[in-house]
Amino acid sequence: MAGTVSAIGKEWLIRKALLVSALVVVFGLALVIFFMAKESLPAFTGAGPANLFGSVWDPRQGRYGMLVFLTGTLTTTAGGLILGTPLALGLALFLTQVAPRRSRSLISRAVELLAGVPSIVLGWLGFTILVPWIRRMSGSSGSGILAASIVLAIMVVPTITAISRDALEAVPPSYTQASLSLGATRWQTVRGVLLPAARPGLLAAIILGAGRAIGETMAVAMVIGPASVFPTSLTSPTHTLTTKILMEMGESTGVQRSSLFAMGLVLLVLTMALVMLVRRVSGGESRLMVAE
Amino acid sequence: MVSTFTGRGGPGGGQGVGERENAVMEQELEVGAEPAVPGIRVEGGYKFRLRNLSLYYGERKILEDIELDIPENRITAVIGPSGCGKSSFLRCLNRMNDLVEGSRVEGGVFLDGEDIYRRDCDVTALRRRVGMVFQKPNPFPKTIYENVAFGPRILGVRDRATLDEVVETSLRRAALWDEVKDKLKEPALALSGGQQQRLCIARVLAVEPEVILFDEPCSALDPIATQRIEDLLVELKEKYTIVIVTHNMQQAARASDYTAFFLIERQGDPGRLVEFGETGNLFTNPRDERTERDITGRFG
Amino acid sequence: MENASVLESRSRRFAGKGAALADRLATVAIWFSAMLALALVIGVIAAILWQGLGTALSPSFIFGKPEAMREGGGIWPMVVSSFYLAVLTLSLVLPLGVGAALYLSEFARGGRIVRLVRFGADSLSAVPSVVFGVFGMVVFVIYLGLGYSLMAGALTLTLLNLPTVMRSAEEAVRSVPNSYREAALAMGCSRWEMVKKAVLPVAMPGITTGAILSVGRIVGESAAVVYTVGLFVRKVPWSPFRPAAPMAANIWHMYTEGALVPDWFRVASGEAAFLLLIVLVLNLLARTTAGLVRKKMGYRA
Repeated sequence: MAGTVSAIGKEWLIRKALLVSALVVVFGLALVIFFMAKESLPAFTGAGPANLFGSVWDPRQGRYGMLVFLTGTLTTTAGGLILGTPLALGLALFLTQVAPRRSRSLISRAVELLAGVPSIVLGWLGFTILVPWIRRMSGSSGSGILAASIVLAIMVVPTITAISRDALEAVPPSYTQASLSLGATRWQTVRGVLLPAARPGLLAAIILGAGRAIGETMAVAMVIGPASVFPTSLTSPTHTLTTKILMEMGESTGVQRSSLFAMGLVLLVLTMALVMLVRRVSGGESRLMVAE
Repeated sequence: MVSTFTGRGGPGGGQGVGERENAVMEQELEVGAEPAVPGIRVEGGYKFRLRNLSLYYGERKILEDIELDIPENRITAVIGPSGCGKSSFLRCLNRMNDLVEGSRVEGGVFLDGEDIYRRDCDVTALRRRVGMVFQKPNPFPKTIYENVAFGPRILGVRDRATLDEVVETSLRRAALWDEVKDKLKEPALALSGGQQQRLCIARVLAVEPEVILFDEPCSALDPIATQRIEDLLVELKEKYTIVIVTHNMQQAARASDYTAFFLIERQGDPGRLVEFGETGNLFTNPRDERTERDITGRFG
Repeated sequence: MENASVLESRSRRFAGKGAALADRLATVAIWFSAMLALALVIGVIAAILWQGLGTALSPSFIFGKPEAMREGGGIWPMVVSSFYLAVLTLSLVLPLGVGAALYLSEFARGGRIVRLVRFGADSLSAVPSVVFGVFGMVVFVIYLGLGYSLMAGALTLTLLNLPTVMRSAEEAVRSVPNSYREAALAMGCSRWEMVKKAVLPVAMPGITTGAILSVGRIVGESAAVVYTVGLFVRKVPWSPFRPAAPMAANIWHMYTEGALVPDWFRVASGEAAFLLLIVLVLNLLARTTAGLVRKKMGYRA
């Protein structure tokens, strides 16, 4: 009998251990949020929200405004999405509609390979080839929003392609059959039936791509400038939230350091908001009808 | 072979390759030529004439040497045991088989005298003329209105008033108008199975086809819905040529004017046309003993 | 009927031609995207390799000592740092990730816990790596007193990689056919015994594939490592509680401070190329094991 009792006890212990493993992500998330908030508190109390969300970053004058960097993050993300989404969507359509069977795996493997390139390596490439090229073309410094957008586009394409592809493949083939049997061309079918039906998944893909772009640090850091000022053009240097944190945390103390943590907190809020948005978009959608 | 978006059958074709092998059949066939099956008198003309039609999916032969004429403005039923290639046969008539990778056709399929498998045939135009209703109702995830309006929109109709008119006419002809006229903007997928199938019929009618192919349209429906669709078929044959594949002998006997009986001898054999004739005669007095064996065993 | 004339109108004939044209244009655009993407991949990889392959493949570089002021430095301590970090991280994240996956797939009963865990994993996976980096700095380096060290980095990277390891492990575990579970339970196994004997062994190849891919991600991770492990060391790190310099962080160091070294460009290019090669090889390795997994599953399932 003692044997069975300890066996049951062991089972219970293991179950609890596995539960704890599962809860680590929750615990870890809570810790991250807690410590980011804790470390940014001095900035909120010392400099105040008006200062922190202002447009001037000049620690010597006690100005810790993150608006420049927030703008940088938003514009480079938008740029990356504008460049990357059409490419990714075209790629997803290619892989699901057009590609002959054999090239399908070749191309999708190539895209996976792109996803595996470390961001620091891509940033290095941006620094050594992209920025000089832009400099030659435009006569400016070469670094800035344009360079960052191009680099980000390359980074988000694999993500958006993969999720879009899943969304397209999940559309019941009966819809495609019905459309074609009515005399629609392939493109009319894609536009009229396939894309609208896959819309929740496609939106999720773009949102997740945006999340990736917002969080990207290294690749952008090597092509963004940097400069803590608003950009005057697509090729003038600026900063994003991630690159600012990366490049200043080492030397910062006091309120300045704390304001960097505040930026990290803003990043956290942004990315978590996107996660929740994705869940709304792809989970809650009624399957009955997709608007034109 | 690079498969393009538009396919090889002309602009806007399917994804697969629908090749035509038999060069002899490239000439047009006269409408008044000898019928495939001698001894059958048909008033009116023949809509489809099939000569030496064989269908392959890759290496496998699905249909062998089909010779058949399908009468215009009549209901032709296609029956036979499961796996004999009835659905594949049907899909040869609107080239939906092109979508199957590796599909290949030998012989000729002549619609109003023109071979639909010829090199320069416009497949999208063909599919507009030869519409299809599938086994499982497959309305688009859109409103009822948009489902029916899909076809006309494809054809370039933009004017709202025209679309409204076409939608109403098509729904009336599909015997669905009265049931949905107040909820045209509601999702099509909220309709019952029988209603969805009639919606699919309306959708096909909206492009003004000449032929409507039905692939076991009632197999997913209850008897009442089935009856409504069978009644609808009789109404529709006045304007359209109907070909209906069914595994239900009684349905074929009830609803059709002509019946084609397909068979495979053994597993793995291609399907062959065994007998074709007026429905009444075929069921009571079949000429081929295989027809007799198969039908009288399950009919009556 | 009146409708027939509408659909037969001349405008419809134009529409037919327009539709065919649009179809062709769309085909071209789609082929173009695919070719552009392919060109990008090839271009990126080729450019990196072209810049640094010569350096990257020379033994004196790979196994050489780094220089802070002079030419001709190598990257051996960095290479060791990267792999040491990967091993440390894996030893933490694999048990946790597989454990979590097993819980979600085999033991979880309440929907609430599962939803909470999924929310946590989804959110954590979206957190920017630099945020992980400064978090790790505050908590592991400073608060826990580990200092800049491989251990601090491993703990940070564990958090960063946990969602992905969980996801791939769960996929591997869920793909085990139910018949195995049923057979084990029918023989009188407890739930855990069933998992240990019937599920884990079959899921192991899939889990291994996920682990290999994780190594690639860990080795390529830079932002989270810069503030937890270190940027430059002269000697090969032995203790996990001392600073180290993974390649990904060292490249950043070269970019920002490296100008002290006359051939910093060559060193950084070589390091980037070497890093890329490693990632490509790991990718290939993962794909081979994934292929083996499929074959194995094919036989048994």
